[in-house]
Amino acid sequence: MLLSVENLIVKYGNIQALHGISFHVNEGEIVTLIGANGAGKTTSLHSITRLPPPEAPKVVSGDIKFKGQSILKTSPSAVVKDLKVALVPEGRHIFGNLTVMENLILATYAREKGTDFSGEYHRIFELFPRLKERRDQRSESLSGGEQQMLAVGRALMTGCTFLLLDEPSMGLAPVLKYEVFRTLKRLNEEGMTILLIEQNANLALQLAGRGYVLDTGQIAAHGTSEELLGNPEVKKAYLGG
Amino acid sequence: MIETIIQNLINALQWGSFYALIALGYTMVYGVLTLINFAHGDVFMVGAYIAFFVATFILTVLGLPGWIALALTIPVTMILTSMVGVSLERIAYRPLRRKGAHRLYVVITALMCGLILEHANLAILGASRKAFPSLIVEHVYTVGGVSFTNLKIAVIVTAILSFFILQWIVTQTKVGMAMRAISYDKFAVPLMGIPIDSIIVITFALGSSFAGLAGLLFAMSYPVLEPYMGALIGWKAFIAAVVGGIGDIRGAFLGGFLLGAVEILVVAVFPSTYRDLIAFTVLLIILSLKPTGLFGIAKTTKI
Repeated sequence: MLLSVENLIVKYGNIQALHGISFHVNEGEIVTLIGANGAGKTTSLHSITRLPPPEAPKVVSGDIKFKGQSILKTSPSAVVKDLKVALVPEGRHIFGNLTVMENLILATYAREKGTDFSGEYHRIFELFPRLKERRDQRSESLSGGEQQMLAVGRALMTGCTFLLLDEPSMGLAPVLKYEVFRTLKRLNEEGMTILLIEQNANLALQLAGRGYVLDTGQIAAHGTSEELLGNPEVKKAYLGG
Repeated sequence: MIETIIQNLINALQWGSFYALIALGYTMVYGVLTLINFAHGDVFMVGAYIAFFVATFILTVLGLPGWIALALTIPVTMILTSMVGVSLERIAYRPLRRKGAHRLYVVITALMCGLILEHANLAILGASRKAFPSLIVEHVYTVGGVSFTNLKIAVIVTAILSFFILQWIVTQTKVGMAMRAISYDKFAVPLMGIPIDSIIVITFALGSSFAGLAGLLFAMSYPVLEPYMGALIGWKAFIAAVVGGIGDIRGAFLGGFLLGAVEILVVAVFPSTYRDLIAFTVLLIILSLKPTGLFGIAKTTKI
C-alpha cells in the first residue's frame, strides 16, 4: 500500500472537516474521491501534502501513512522532495508572473543539482504541445485549459511518482476536459499513481479503478468504479440519476 | 555649462547609489512577504557600525594596510549585516507569520525593531559619534572642469554592479524564480518542494548584506557615524523603492537614482534647506500620476 489514510479526523479552526475517514491507494492505481462541495475532498488532499500553516488543516487524530510510515510530521517540501508526491491544486495556482518555462524550471527546485532535465521538459512539451508554443510567455496570459496543462506539467517536473489532482476539469470546456483526462490515463499507463478529486463523478469513475464517496466528512461508499457506477444510491446522489 | 551638468550627474549618481542599495532591501522583502521592513534603514546603520568595528580592528589590532582592510571589510560587513537581517526575521517576523498575524502587526513590529536597533546602539555605544577610519587615499581627479574622487566613482560602480548581480539572481536563478513565485502565489510554492522559509531567509540575507555594503560605502564617504543615521535615509530609500515600483529590483535602483538626482538638482538651484521639501513634492507628483510606481504593475487581487 502506497498511501493509507486511517481514521483521520481533521479540523479547520473549530470546524471539524473530516470525521474519521479511511482510504488507501496502491501503487499504480487511479483512485478517485467524489462528493459534493464541502464534503471534505480538498481537506483530504491538503492533509496529505502537509501544507504549512495557516492553510494547513489540523489533524486531531488518526494517521496518514506513506509506505507504512506516518507522514504527519513531514514538512510540505519534504513531501514533494522525499516522498515524490505532487499536488495539482484546485484553481491551478500557477505562477502567473513567471513564464511557462520558468514555472517548469522552478518545479525542479528540490531535485538533485546538476541533473539534465532537458529530456523531461521535452516530454512535458510532447504531452502538452500548446505549452511548447507558449514557453516564453508569462503564464498568466495562458487560457484556462493551458494553465491547467501547465499546472500538471509543473507537478510532473517535481519528479513525482504519485500525483494528487484537485478538480482538474473545473472550468474547462468539455473538449479540454477529455484531453486532460486522456493525459492522466496515459501517465497512469506509464506508471504514475493518481489520486483524483472530481465533482464530475461520471468522468472520474470512468478513469479510476476505485473510488470513495465522501459525504460531510465521512466515507459514504467505496468500491470499484463499476460497483459505484452501478450503486443506485450513488447514482442518485452523484451521477445525476 | 556642460561641465556643471556632468558634475551634478556624477554627484546625483553617487548620492542615489546609497538610496538604491538600501531600497533594494525594502523591495525584495516586500516582494516575498508584502512586508514593509521599516527596520531596514537601521540595518543600514548597523552595517555602517559593523564596518567601523571591522575596519578599525583590522587597521589597529592587525595593523594591516588600508586597502587590505577594505578588501576584508567588504565581505565581513556584508556577512555580519546579513546575519542581523536574518535574525530580525527569525526573532521578530517569523513567529508572527506562523500565527497568521495581520500585516499591520508585522509592520508595527518592524518599526519597533528599527527603534530597538537605534536605541540599543545608543545604550551600548553612547551618544558620541564615531569617526570612520580612512581606508583608502582619496584622490581628486579633474577632467575638463569636472572633478570627482576615486571613492565617488567606486560607489557608483559598486551600485551598478550590485544591480546587475541582483537582477541576475532574481531573473536567472531558481532561488530568484522562487522569490518571484512567492510574490505571486505563496500557496503553491511549497508544492514545488521549495521550503518557503529558506527563500525568505535568503531574501533577508541579500537585502541586508547590500544595506551593509551601503553602510560601509556611506561611512567611507561621510565618515561620521551616529545611531540615527539610518532613520531618514531609510525612509527616503523606502520612498524611492515605492516610486520605482516596490517589488521590482529595477524600480529600486531607478527610484534611488531618481531621488538622488532630484535632491542634487534642487541643491544646485535652490538653497539647500529646500532640498527635501522639493524632492518629496516631486516624488508625490510622480506617485499621484502613477500610483503603482514607475516599474510597478497593478496587481490583480486574487480570491
